[in-house]
Amino acid sequence: MKKVLIYLKKYIKETIFAPLLKMSEALLELFVPIVIANIVDVGISSGTDYIIKQCLILLALGALGLLFSVSAQYMSARAAVGMATDLKADLFRHIQSFSYAEHEKIGASTLITRMTSDINQVQSGVNLTLRLFLRSPFIVFGSMIMAFTLDVKSALVFVVCIPLLSVVVFSVMAVTIPKYKNVQEKLDSLLLTTRENLSGVRVFRAFCKEQDEIENFNEKNSVLNIAQRAVAKISSLTNPLTFIIVNISAVVLIWIGAIRVDSGDISQGTVIALYNYMAQILVELIKLANLIVSITKSIASAGRISKVFEVQDSTVDSETVIDKFDFKSKIAVQFKDVSFKYPDSSENSLQNISFVANTGETIGIIGGTGSGKTTLVNLISRFYDITGGELEIFGKPVTSVTEKFLRDNIAIVPQKAELFKGSIRDNIKMGKMVATEEELNTALKISQAEEFVLKKDGELDYQIEQYGKNLSGGQKQRLAIARAIIKNAPILILDDSASALDLATDAKLRKALKELPQNPTVFIVSQRVSAVMNSDKILVLDDGELVSSGTHDELLKNSDVYKEICNSQFGGEEQ
Amino acid sequence: MNMKKQTLKRLFSIIGKYKPMLILTIVLALVFVVVSLNIPILVGDAVDVIIDKGKVNFDLLIPILVKIVIVVLLGGISQWVMSIINNYITYNTVRDIRKIAFNKLNKLPVKYIDSNPHGSIVSRIITDVDTFADGLLMGFTQVFTGIATIVGTLIFMLLMSPATTVAVIVLTPLSLFAAKFISGKTYALFKKQSEIRADQTSITEEMITNEKTVKAFNYEDKAIEDFVKINNDLSKVSLKAIFFSSLTNPVTRFVNSMVYMAVALIGSLSVLNGVLSVGMLVSFLSYANQYTKPFNEISGVITELQNAIACLNRVFDLIYEDEYAPDGDERFENNNGTVEFKNVYFSYSPDKPLIEDFSLKVNPGETIAIVGPTGCGKTTLINILMRFYDVNKGEILINSKNIKDISRHELRSTFGMVLQETWLKSATILENLKMGVPNATEEEVIEAAKLTRAHSFIKRLPDGYNTVIGESGGSLSEGQKQLLCITRVMVMNPQMLILDEATSSIDTRTELKISKAFDLLMKNKTSFVVAHRLSTIKDADRILVMKDGNVIEIGNHNELMSQKGFYYNLYKSQFEI
Repeated sequence: MKKVLIYLKKYIKETIFAPLLKMSEALLELFVPIVIANIVDVGISSGTDYIIKQCLILLALGALGLLFSVSAQYMSARAAVGMATDLKADLFRHIQSFSYAEHEKIGASTLITRMTSDINQVQSGVNLTLRLFLRSPFIVFGSMIMAFTLDVKSALVFVVCIPLLSVVVFSVMAVTIPKYKNVQEKLDSLLLTTRENLSGVRVFRAFCKEQDEIENFNEKNSVLNIAQRAVAKISSLTNPLTFIIVNISAVVLIWIGAIRVDSGDISQGTVIALYNYMAQILVELIKLANLIVSITKSIASAGRISKVFEVQDSTVDSETVIDKFDFKSKIAVQFKDVSFKYPDSSENSLQNISFVANTGETIGIIGGTGSGKTTLVNLISRFYDITGGELEIFGKPVTSVTEKFLRDNIAIVPQKAELFKGSIRDNIKMGKMVATEEELNTALKISQAEEFVLKKDGELDYQIEQYGKNLSGGQKQRLAIARAIIKNAPILILDDSASALDLATDAKLRKALKELPQNPTVFIVSQRVSAVMNSDKILVLDDGELVSSGTHDELLKNSDVYKEICNSQFGGEEQ
Repeated sequence: MNMKKQTLKRLFSIIGKYKPMLILTIVLALVFVVVSLNIPILVGDAVDVIIDKGKVNFDLLIPILVKIVIVVLLGGISQWVMSIINNYITYNTVRDIRKIAFNKLNKLPVKYIDSNPHGSIVSRIITDVDTFADGLLMGFTQVFTGIATIVGTLIFMLLMSPATTVAVIVLTPLSLFAAKFISGKTYALFKKQSEIRADQTSITEEMITNEKTVKAFNYEDKAIEDFVKINNDLSKVSLKAIFFSSLTNPVTRFVNSMVYMAVALIGSLSVLNGVLSVGMLVSFLSYANQYTKPFNEISGVITELQNAIACLNRVFDLIYEDEYAPDGDERFENNNGTVEFKNVYFSYSPDKPLIEDFSLKVNPGETIAIVGPTGCGKTTLINILMRFYDVNKGEILINSKNIKDISRHELRSTFGMVLQETWLKSATILENLKMGVPNATEEEVIEAAKLTRAHSFIKRLPDGYNTVIGESGGSLSEGQKQLLCITRVMVMNPQMLILDEATSSIDTRTELKISKAFDLLMKNKTSFVVAHRLSTIKDADRILVMKDGNVIEIGNHNELMSQKGFYYNLYKSQFEI
């Protein structure tokens, strides 16, 4: 909450003046019943001129009110939009600083909702609060005070009436807020069922489950309906109860007023004024009730945003970094007894891994699903921090340089080819912002993407849709590879990044990678023996452990796991 | 306009069954309005007997006050009952609409679901219906009472003082004009705002879901730069949109205070002339207040209602979408498992022909493997075989019966299907595995899981077979999910099989280990197997090599190898370096 509210600081003037202006407007409204009382008490006896004068005062009050409230609207809009804009930019920056661990822990979809709908909710909440939150209580209490100035004894009715109203409004709120949450949860579960029926449409239909799912949905739908009506039953008490309380108070007010007039303590006009103040309270209460619902929602949203701010990047640069690698070092990457455990896991995902990757070597990493291949290469780029042992890159601990420097020197093709909305050119240039046309073409050639890129409308300027939806899986992978190659980094990591390529293209790709002029240290993660068998060194992982390493021929001789993998893929056939 | 009419007609066909409730709520709205209009008169009457010191007529006052109390109670109760009824109608209508929409979802062709973003369909059934509910409820509670209040007030005022009434009638439309003018101006701004907001959302989405790449390429700064730019654009438009739209209230309030002043002026002059009493002036002023308020509310409600109708329209678009072709009602009798494609033509869109004049006869118990590059139509064959899509021309016969004449349930329940895209329901593992055979015993399930090697990881999960898996598989790895999908079909033990890249995410060692289970499963069953891993399909009876929707080679592994054609190259390439 605090983390969000400090964003109002920049708009402190607006934040203070908007409600003050609104209050001034309300104050003017409070004068209206007095003017009317004057007309009734004085005007009726003293004639037309006085009445016209009083009416002009009414008009002036209205005009001044308009001026005040327009300025207030502008200021509150400025403060709300301004703070939301800053908040959004900072939240985005903050999210960008997260490492993989934080992203996985929180999840993309909820981060997106917080960036979008939650911030919008806060924006409109701030806007409404600045405009109205002071106004309504001000009118309610202002009416009471004005009543006191008119006649203390009659005003006592207000003293009873207002607490009574507060009790009604606040107890209805107190009861309904948790119930609203309950409704929201029921709605979420309905949403889940709907989404499932879309993503799983083939499975549900193949298994003839349509009817079961309809029943499942209907049941959840009814539960939601009952929950909604239960809240509504309580919240619909507010208006009738306040209506009755205010009007009965008015009756009491008139009764007391009548006695006071009879005894000559107050005039007929004063009774009218008192009644008008009572009427104003009713109007404001209805507004306030609506406002409170919106504010409650905003508070919840602000809480969700704060939660994101509280999450800190787990891979922080140390303070004594010197961005320097010894690129002449014979050893590019060295794992010394490295272990790694995911934050919310109880067991190590990698256990005591030790190996050396010499500069310029190609290292193959093979193993079954869940054996830790991807985790291992993610440690090299420091997407996660190791939890045991030492990891050195070009002779220096991975934590001794900034993340930025480290990643500038590593080109990665992640398992899932992630592309961005924009041209093919823009996507590849992510690897090198100032790439020449020639460099682009070379990268396309090596990645075996040239052939299909040339067939696209506009070639390199072909527009890719969000997530690369208008490309096939294999095309996406090849562009992701091109993007990494153009970076020309001393370390290149291919994380199972050719899985969607047909075997012939995959082979051509591997051949081209072998011939890269800058001779980088290459890590190839794959399940296919054919992809790693010609590496200088193959690491065989099984269940998070490095079970053996060596060249293809060595491993065939002394690694049972490797032999099994080979057999499963070549079926004993000679290569 | 016409569309609006159609939408409303459709709405009434749903809401119609609450007709008695609707009538009741209108009656109650009228009661409430008459009551609330009577209060100012009664108060005015009361004020008129409280004239001055010693001139208060308590004998007349008391009955008036009692009347007010009765009237107020009546009003409060009718308001309460009314809102309960309104909630009842609204939420039940919403429930009904959702029910119809969801039912519809299960009758739509898979094509519709494939070609529309799921987010948009979900938001129709969830968010749009919710927005509609808000609008409908607001409409019920405010439009009825609002209109009734305006009409009622006018009648009461006319009866009391025609001159003052005319002033009110002349002045009030001003506020409507002002509101309309402002909302016209702001509409364009809001539209612009939502466009920029959509752009911003998609940047946010992209940068967050693609964060792995963003990090790997140190792209954060550029991403932030892009984001801040669009954020500032949005800020400018939002400020304008919000400010201009927020002018409505102050402006209409100003117009109202002019109306109020006019009533005070004309009214008090009338009192001077003896046309009105002071009490009547008081009631009149209350009326002026009451009369103008609904205008403000209604102008707000109208935007809300327009929005609600737009949302409803989107829901109805879904509900009135064309359903898939009606079901045949024939059943297989003694299905022997022959499948025959006869001159089949199929394409997803008319301008991109895919499968053309495809014919193939599959004998009972045969295993047919389909290979070929991506986009060659492998998965398409499965789509048309399961009738997720219908063929454009030609026919598919199973057991000599056209599959169009057979009910979809009958057709689909003869097939067991494992797809590349592993899909599991968010339920327990056991429930997922029993999907094909709801009355399977736990022992049967475990036995199947042992065959597929899924048992060993399932039993290590916190609650074993009763572990609840999250939406789309949650924390399980792709390979584990695929093992579960295979087990799911294993439990079912269907007459025919479709395996579309069924082992693509399983490492080859495990695959080898479960191959026995597959052999058992496929024994004597007509099976269709799609795979890019050629080692998995070498034993197939016949291999179809597809390219661009056509079968270019057909035969068993040895025949195809000796042809030295496309298959030969494909097979060899996997060992090339």
